Amino acid sequence: MGKLQASLHVRRRTLLKAGVAAGALQFASPFIIRARAADILKVGVDNPLTGVYTALGKNENFGVELAVEQINAKGGIVGRQVQTVVEDSTSDKTDIAVQKARKLIQSDKVDFLIGNVNSSHAIAIAQVAAELKTIHIVPGGHADAITGASCQWTTFRVCNTGAMQGNAMAGPLVNKLGKKIYIIAQDYAFGHALADGLTKAATKAGGTIVGTDFFPLATTDYSAVLIKARAANPDVLVDLAAGDDGINSIKQAVQFGLDKQLKIAGMQQELEVVEGLPVEARIGSWLFEWYWNQPNVPHVAEFVAAIRKKTGKVPTARTWFGFASMWSYALAANNAKSIEAVKVAHALEGLKLPPEVALMPSEPYFRAEDHQLVPSVFIGHEQAKGTVDPEDLFVVDQVVAGKDFMPPASETGCKLVYPT
Amino acid sequence: MTQVILFNVLNGLIVGAFYALMALGLSLILNLSGVINFAHGGFLALGAYLAYSLAPYLGFWGGLALAPFLTAALGLIIERVLIRRLYGRDPLYSLLLTFGLAFIFQDALRFLWGAQSVPYQIPGWLASPLSASLFFLTGYRVFMVVIVALAVTALFLILGYTRLGIRIRAGTLDLDTVSVLGVNVRVLRNLNFGLGIYLAGLAGVLAAGMLGLSPTIGDTLIMPSFVAIIVGGLGSLPGTLAGGLLIGIASGLTAVFLPAGTEAVIYVMMALVLMVRPHGLFGDAGRLR
Repeated sequence: MGKLQASLHVRRRTLLKAGVAAGALQFASPFIIRARAADILKVGVDNPLTGVYTALGKNENFGVELAVEQINAKGGIVGRQVQTVVEDSTSDKTDIAVQKARKLIQSDKVDFLIGNVNSSHAIAIAQVAAELKTIHIVPGGHADAITGASCQWTTFRVCNTGAMQGNAMAGPLVNKLGKKIYIIAQDYAFGHALADGLTKAATKAGGTIVGTDFFPLATTDYSAVLIKARAANPDVLVDLAAGDDGINSIKQAVQFGLDKQLKIAGMQQELEVVEGLPVEARIGSWLFEWYWNQPNVPHVAEFVAAIRKKTGKVPTARTWFGFASMWSYALAANNAKSIEAVKVAHALEGLKLPPEVALMPSEPYFRAEDHQLVPSVFIGHEQAKGTVDPEDLFVVDQVVAGKDFMPPASETGCKLVYPT
Repeated sequence: MTQVILFNVLNGLIVGAFYALMALGLSLILNLSGVINFAHGGFLALGAYLAYSLAPYLGFWGGLALAPFLTAALGLIIERVLIRRLYGRDPLYSLLLTFGLAFIFQDALRFLWGAQSVPYQIPGWLASPLSASLFFLTGYRVFMVVIVALAVTALFLILGYTRLGIRIRAGTLDLDTVSVLGVNVRVLRNLNFGLGIYLAGLAGVLAAGMLGLSPTIGDTLIMPSFVAIIVGGLGSLPGTLAGGLLIGIASGLTAVFLPAGTEAVIYVMMALVLMVRPHGLFGDAGRLR
């Protein structure tokens, strides 16, 4: 009996020891994790996750996510694994977007900031990034000022400006569709940027702008604007609205039968918008900043497959914006062998995107003078139903290389001032 | 120019009729229960999404017929479980509750149907203009006006001639007396809320045929409806109808001269009405009695 008890006692002691050891291990592990934390490089993502730009913001974030997975698999940035801290900037409240940018840099201590879909947010975030000396890439805010009059040494941009798109689209518009152009656009930084860009370029190409109307953001009824546009009797109605406004205005123009009386075109069109349109409204000539169906371009198929696996859908231009933004920083920091802002900024200037990041025929690069990416654009027309794939709703008629539509850096109004 | 102005007046009436449909639902709930329903836009969006999901099985017409009823059913449940608890308290409580509900609705819709707009298909014969010169008069817009007219007529008939309607109107004037006379006020308020939400659901299905269907579809439509109520006069259903039509025309006419001001003009109008007639255009005289 006593023996049995003794053996039990020993067993209990052994068990206790094991328990203490396990506990010690538990206790020790936070130190290990903490030691790892110092090796983690944090990236702040300040994009809309609520409101009208949710779909666009989320797609950009998916692109960032995929890039982070690939970067980490290849050894990270200057040997450190990358981790994202994602915040909702909201779609329309610039003060919140700014507050989140400050929180990401000052409290979460991110080393690099990505954002924003909304141009007004992007300009405001750029100011915060410059003040706090943090590298910032704008994936998809299109207002010219971001890499123009409001440019900052810390800020770079992947998507195009209004002037770039105007220059690229003006020729095909005036030569193929008609010389008398009527423009409708949203009444904020983005709409004005596109309208100004097109007005200048189309006039230069021999076209005439017979009228331009700006309507408030999130307008639901376009009939009044369309009645006015129709009365001006243009050859082409250029619709520059983005997101839900784009869907609403095109849908109503088609219901009014305007597509049968005149040509409908636009500049920047997005797959998110086309997919939201009923089949009869998938019409017109447009510019895509990036398109997923590029059969002869290397690495595009892998990118499409990876995003499809992640989201169940094909990548859009927005997904590529996020992907290219994240990769650009990683490439520059690895080239500079540092994450010090001034060094990374200089490494980003002139950085050429390799084919597995570029995912387009030309070799895009960041222009040193204004920090604007110089990519190719895709001009073509929409189709009601995809032939090779249900999501293939755009037919690329021509790819225009950046050198053919970039306005000279001297015209952008950007003067970069580095800290002394 | 005259033609453009005339077109816009006519078009303004069409748009205004739509605002009025939403505003009537809001007004019904506000008048009887004193609840400013900020979640009305959420119910509207839900109605639209239900119709979108039902359409593959029941077609456009099945969706149009069933979705508003399903939305109203959810309205009855939400009134019973959440909103009822706040009657008799400061209106701020119900305002905060419905404000929160609006966010919950939007996120729930985003979770269920995705953030991206979905295409809501209307029958082909409705999606084209009736004549080449009056091109803005599409089959769908005329259809919308007809549906709004039918719904408004039915609503006024219900309020004027049915037991439920008479009780709702009586309750709007003096709920305590109606309660003392033996009417179950709880049921009355519940059904009235359901009726208001039915109108929101119907407005949602109609809106989806004209606009892109995204979780935020109700947000942009809800503010003109509140303005319609204030311009028409609180407590007056005919006033709400008139308010909706008036802001539709004002917005349309502004588009001729200053398209960027189409949104601002409805608030300017509201400010003017509040300065000249603080109780709204039909505040007292127009009340259904």
